[in-house]
Amino acid sequence: MIKVNHTVQQEDLPGDFAIWMFIFAEMLAFGVLFVAYAFARANNVELFNASQLTLNRASGAINTLVLITSSFCVVQGVTAIKAGSNRQCAHWLTGAFLLGGVFVAIKIAEFHAKFAADITMSTNNFYMFYLSLTFFHFMHVLMGMVILAVIIIKARRGIYSAQNYVGVETGASFWHMVDFLWIILFPLIYIIR
Amino acid sequence: MTKFNTQSKFFSTVIWLILVMLTIVTYTLGEKGLSGKYVMLGLLVITMIKGQLIANYFMALRKTKLIWRAIMFGYFIIVGGLIGLAYLMGLK
Repeated sequence: MIKVNHTVQQEDLPGDFAIWMFIFAEMLAFGVLFVAYAFARANNVELFNASQLTLNRASGAINTLVLITSSFCVVQGVTAIKAGSNRQCAHWLTGAFLLGGVFVAIKIAEFHAKFAADITMSTNNFYMFYLSLTFFHFMHVLMGMVILAVIIIKARRGIYSAQNYVGVETGASFWHMVDFLWIILFPLIYIIR
Repeated sequence: MTKFNTQSKFFSTVIWLILVMLTIVTYTLGEKGLSGKYVMLGLLVITMIKGQLIANYFMALRKTKLIWRAIMFGYFIIVGGLIGLAYLMGLK
């Protein structure tokens, strides 16, 4: 009886429980940075507002749509593997992976434009937060893409099944976290003034 | 494709569409250069709705124990609340 209850508890969160400890830790780290940005802005509103206007809001919005759509693909991938289709799962996750590539390409173009304009982390406090927060997030996107790639390869090899999909859910949870954090980062850095 | 999977796909498509629409609203407000207390609070509420949709429906937390949903909701209340407070402090 105790063993049954223990199993139910472990299945509570989708995927491996360890990834959720990592997700909550990452959310906390980003949360502290978000709040630090907001309070740093409160001390220098004019500078932050003027610097914010130099950001490419369109690329930020497109990247938001790209990540939302990639998360949608991941949801379909999880649904597919729960139905026992490794092939469909791999297809949907490949879609999510490619969209991750689009995000990376847009972000690199954005970083390049800033560096070409001689904007660095030491330019001012706004750019310090903008570059560090977006680069920190950018690294998570790359990490998420690596995780998706591994799951895609395993799905193509038929390793998962309708009974064994914890690995897919674990990777999916990480990818959704990447989306979740960008959902906050985009309006905070690019829009709210 | 089973009936369950078809329903699931339809449901997640609806969530995706809502997220897309809210993103367009956020971007439009930014493009119009709107600012002030109510715009800021509106954007924070939109962000919170988007985050809750992702947490509950994409991360599939809606069927998990209350504690996990409470953590995600509490995260928005605390982080969003502090961001809102900081922005109000910046208003003249």
